[in-house]
Amino acid sequence: MVMLRCKSVALIGVLIATQLTAACVRHQNAATSASENASANAVPPAVRYEDRIWAGGVPPPSGGLYSVQANSAQNAQDGEALFNSMNCDGCHGSGASGSVGPNLADGRWRYGGRDEEIFNSIFYGRPKGMPAFGGLLGQGGASLLVGYLKSLPKPDTVPTESSIESP
Amino acid sequence: MIAVRNALLLIGLMSGAFAGAAEVDGDWSMPAKDYAATRYSALTQINAHNAKGLHPVWSFSTGVLGGHEGQPLVVNNTMYVVTPWPNTLYAFDLSQEGYPLKWKYRPDVNSNALGMACCDAVNRGAFYADGKIIYNLLDGHTVAIDAASGKELWKTQVADLRSGETITMAPFVVKGVVIVGPAGGELGIHSWLKGLDLQSGRVLWTARNAGPDSEVLARPESFHSFYDKGDDLAAHSWPNEAAWKTGGGPVWGWISYDPQLDLIYYGTGNPGPYNPEQRQGDNKWSCSVLARRPEDGALIWAYQFTPHDNWDYDANAVLILADVMVGGHERKALVTFDKNGFQYTLDRATGELLAAHPYVMVTWAKGVDLKTGRPILDPAKQTGASKGQVKDICPSLEGGVSPASPAAYSPRTKLFYTSTNNFCMDWTAREVRYLQGTPYMGADTPYHAGPGGNLGSFIAWDAVNGRKVWEVKEPYPGWSGALVTGGDVAFYGTLDGWFKAVDAKTGVVLSKFKVGSGVVGSPITFRGPDGKQYVAIYAGIGGDMALLAGDVRSDDPADVRAPPDYLKTLWRHTSQGGIVWIFGL
Repeated sequence: MVMLRCKSVALIGVLIATQLTAACVRHQNAATSASENASANAVPPAVRYEDRIWAGGVPPPSGGLYSVQANSAQNAQDGEALFNSMNCDGCHGSGASGSVGPNLADGRWRYGGRDEEIFNSIFYGRPKGMPAFGGLLGQGGASLLVGYLKSLPKPDTVPTESSIESP
Repeated sequence: MIAVRNALLLIGLMSGAFAGAAEVDGDWSMPAKDYAATRYSALTQINAHNAKGLHPVWSFSTGVLGGHEGQPLVVNNTMYVVTPWPNTLYAFDLSQEGYPLKWKYRPDVNSNALGMACCDAVNRGAFYADGKIIYNLLDGHTVAIDAASGKELWKTQVADLRSGETITMAPFVVKGVVIVGPAGGELGIHSWLKGLDLQSGRVLWTARNAGPDSEVLARPESFHSFYDKGDDLAAHSWPNEAAWKTGGGPVWGWISYDPQLDLIYYGTGNPGPYNPEQRQGDNKWSCSVLARRPEDGALIWAYQFTPHDNWDYDANAVLILADVMVGGHERKALVTFDKNGFQYTLDRATGELLAAHPYVMVTWAKGVDLKTGRPILDPAKQTGASKGQVKDICPSLEGGVSPASPAAYSPRTKLFYTSTNNFCMDWTAREVRYLQGTPYMGADTPYHAGPGGNLGSFIAWDAVNGRKVWEVKEPYPGWSGALVTGGDVAFYGTLDGWFKAVDAKTGVVLSKFKVGSGVVGSPITFRGPDGKQYVAIYAGIGGDMALLAGDVRSDDPADVRAPPDYLKTLWRHTSQGGIVWIFGL
């Protein structure tokens, strides 16, 4: 998205693009330092959610910003470190078990639980208070976090059912 | 004939005036009832003998599920109610059957504020002044609404949401100045207090709570701290500029005012981050009370309850102005139940500490030295990233009393009334990095129950002798404000959804009613257009205790919570809600 923003600006005008070049470079540096895997493919964000209702029965065009293999043990471990160093635990609790922000370890997702949906939540933020971490993390960092969250074991019972004390 | 008629009219007016002067004020026009923040109403119709007959006479769903902290206002036969985010303001016509709405004000409040507010999207109420209802929006605006028509008169952005500032406190209005401050002690804000012009909303002055004297508005000719001497105390008590600029010290509680001394009093919250090793020094003026002039914000004195806070002991609790006997002399005092477990009595003219009594179990300090004004610390309870887990710190960071649940004071019984919490905690700190717009905390702080088997109580407190006069034990933490009346009845609510009236002298429960959701608001009382006395309270669990109560919501299939070990059963008694109740005889 960082590259996309820079490119589209370049189309608007050389002057503005020149002014923004420094900012773009800074963002890219942050992104690459967050992860060596940060690939800057300039495509629209993923908007095709297979389980959504398609108005008119027509699926929206699919894009793919999310492009990094998330589900490896190493990625999950790196993602866990990011989860703490990016202050994610401040809202989502340690182990992503929920606090003022929702639990991210129970297999229930407010904005969708597919890899790219989780990625978009992290990268672009969400309107009920989730900040956009894309600028800070880059694509690589955000996808490591996806890897971490997906690695968390899902509970096999609903918490409420299991919390009634036996007499 | 005309002369006679005029004379009769004059007599009529005079008798009306005299009756008015003798009659007790039956309105409730500001959050804590009066400038002294007593939450005492002199109304006597409801008393200890008839309070058993209290029953609900009206209720209204606010349509918002969230922590209904704060309290309604009643002015000119109209009741005003502010909801949690999205901060809808309702005006109910009390002169008509069923109290229909006169109007409703629906501000457009940025939903991103939901992620910047540390502990639920609460609002602690409005203030009536000069025909206007003044209140704060969670996303950092103060608004003035015409009390008669509901028309927005002005709207001023005072806080910067992007840097973690939200507003949950109720504004305070005195001498034509609207006084507001931000929440955000968990997001590394550089906190402040602002004075706005009541007529225009223009910002008249901004006073920082940390930084050099020029920003704190501590001028050598007017600022005299009783204990701390020197220049730039609020900058030199931090390791560096970056620390005080991200050091928290939020203003999310209550403000009081002494007209004779012409001083406003407010408390500041915790310094950030929670790892104290990242901010060596006293960290002034976090966890403090500050006394300022309302016209220009000048700092007159300040006193720090918890220097170099290690435990998240915000000092945002209500600061009640009362005349209290100390050592056989009546003193113009300021009394507060600090989160840190001590009840403080200060000279409100100078900031001198007169007394400090533990009102719950306290383990982090052995007492407070009255000569230096500083706590006598237990070194074993000092926290920090290098210290590993520090166990059994009492009270917990929820406070012996939560600032969200303001105390009351009766000039009749000379007693203070407050909800209390009975949690202790362990504390594991770690290094944390400041990232704008994200939590700046760095501690894991699990709670456990304190001694006694109950997690909360409602108490009557004698500040002269530092003793509990009576106590109603509650199974769950106390999160409701208190009210006490000229009829010697005290009122409060509980997290498991009871609203209770108790005898202010004995603590005997006179009546109780299950209001549908946990109570975190503060009761008020008023005289209706029919001349009868009523009591109003919000139901709607929220704040920290809703986050920790387990599964108390049903409106979001993606948010199902298991209760923590220390609060296993609360979810069986309450669910989220948003109801305004009125009780009468």
